[in-house]
Amino acid sequence: MSKPKVGVFGFTGCGGCQLEILNLEDQLLDLVSAVDIVHFREAITEYSDDYDIALVEGSVTTKHGVERIEKIGDIAKIIVAVGACACTGGLNCLKNLYGLEKAKDLVYGDKKDWIDTIETKPIDKYVKVDYMARGCPPNRFEIVDVIRSLILGRKPEIPNYPVCVECKRNGNTCVYELGMTCLGPITRAGCDSRCPNSVSGCEGCRGIIDNPNVNAQKDVLEEYGLTVEDIMENFNLYNACKKIEQK
Amino acid sequence: MQYKILKKNKYQDFVKGLIEDYNFIGPTKKDKSVHDFVPLNSIEELDTNYLKTTIPPAKKILFPPNEKLIEYEIGDEIKVKPVIESSETVLFGINAWDINGMNFLDKFFSKDFVDENYWDKRDKLTVIGMDTEPTENNFALSMDTEYATDGFDLYLHDLGDRYFVRVNTPKGNELVEKYVDFDDASENDFKDFDKYMDDYRAQFSNKVNIKSFYDNFEMIYNDEEFWKKIAKNCFSCGSCNLVCPTCFCFNVKDDLKLDLKTGEKTREWDSCMIPEYGLVAGGHNFRPNKENRLKQRYRCKLKTYFDKFGQYACVGCGRCIEACLAKINIAEDINSVKKEVNV
Ligand code: SF4
Ligand code: SF4
Repeated sequence: MSKPKVGVFGFTGCGGCQLEILNLEDQLLDLVSAVDIVHFREAITEYSDDYDIALVEGSVTTKHGVERIEKIGDIAKIIVAVGACACTGGLNCLKNLYGLEKAKDLVYGDKKDWIDTIETKPIDKYVKVDYMARGCPPNRFEIVDVIRSLILGRKPEIPNYPVCVECKRNGNTCVYELGMTCLGPITRAGCDSRCPNSVSGCEGCRGIIDNPNVNAQKDVLEEYGLTVEDIMENFNLYNACKKIEQK
Repeated sequence: MQYKILKKNKYQDFVKGLIEDYNFIGPTKKDKSVHDFVPLNSIEELDTNYLKTTIPPAKKILFPPNEKLIEYEIGDEIKVKPVIESSETVLFGINAWDINGMNFLDKFFSKDFVDENYWDKRDKLTVIGMDTEPTENNFALSMDTEYATDGFDLYLHDLGDRYFVRVNTPKGNELVEKYVDFDDASENDFKDFDKYMDDYRAQFSNKVNIKSFYDNFEMIYNDEEFWKKIAKNCFSCGSCNLVCPTCFCFNVKDDLKLDLKTGEKTREWDSCMIPEYGLVAGGHNFRPNKENRLKQRYRCKLKTYFDKFGQYACVGCGRCIEACLAKINIAEDINSVKKEVNV
């Protein structure tokens, strides 16, 4: 079996997800011997339009981006969305909350006509995404898990349970008990509850689990004297696209 | 069982000796609301006067949340190496219901199969119990777990000016003889101990009628509305399972390294309250709804294992009540059954 060819692509985002792949450090050599990396702008000079697996970071926010992601969709056999921006639209969706014109005005003022920007969308709005390595930044070990699973032909184990599970495994005191808000009960685990581990509430960067009990979350907030607005502010940070879609 | 007295002025030297000689795990203040059992190096860090611990101490030590089970190497042949890590450890200051929780795990990890990873640690664990104040949610008294009759080596009851010590094992006796002088308990000491236990039991305010729940369980089993009502706000977050001293479910994960030659298998705590738990190959889920799952959890705790082991898989510690953001309360639910079926 020849080694699968992998391309790593960046769209709108901070580039941190690609960096997380490089941060694999002691697994990097194993990674490049397990797969052929043919395209990875943050790491190598070569370019290629011949790849089997595309790891895609960032959300689509320009017309040019639409063309690029559609081309990737035509070439790649398997597409993995890497990081919050690619998976849910991430922080970039905040733009949609303002409305395009207002956002352009605010940021670029009288030069706004120079800017080609469209409504932010996660990449699965344009191409079929096979797997998601979520989070901001994504858990690099999960990226490895996805790649390894693809090589072995099995399904990667991406949790569909809430962050609370990992939080309890880590023996944390619930941050609600410490007077903070937390999206943990409805957010997909897989980050090893890293925010609650350092005593701060989950902001939902890995997106919402498949069947969240949103009504219960509201009841809980009330119980702790918090409003839905409090949580929506947190929720919007990474999941604004999702919210708009639900309206 | 032998009964001894440890004078208060000798307690410090006794504990210091243990800390000196053993891997010593005891309670220490973690943050404003909870204590945690961790390895301690000095008596100053020890605080046996605790109200709450998030994770039950014995479970944390004997059945850790993530535990490597085997390492393997794939070559011309497959080499498998079991990984069992344990050391002589003193668990100090664990209370009676948590000892009873451990007794349940002892049964679970030995009845149908002997779990070596568990037992290697269990055999090397010296358990020294102490009473702690129950929280308002604690219903250990109703579950008969406020007093431990087995599962410990020594149990120290604080009578105010002295400790009444129950010596349950030869290992416990060795410790009694090793560091400081213990006195034999006199008739008067026994009297004071009885009085002490009466006062201690009076502190448990939360009561449940477990007998009635157990007896009526078959009747409520198919009452969908009953389960729906209880589970309405459940997040399926699994917290109730993970903090429970008797919950034993685990999931084994395969971690083949990227060299595709070496790897390891680890187990991690699982939870019957999360949807994936009932998911099988082909996509069928045996317990798709939160009410199915809650019913399963209550049945496991309050029926199945009583029939199997003669011990409920619930010691009434109240941790799941405190951990549940949806305010699902097993004690209230146990009591609600009588009302539901007897009217
Ligand atoms: S802790 Fe509460 S909300 Fe979470 S799974 Fe258990 S019963 Fe449901
Ligand atoms: S079911 Fe709840 S009260 Fe019973 S032992 Fe488990 S955590 Fe404690």
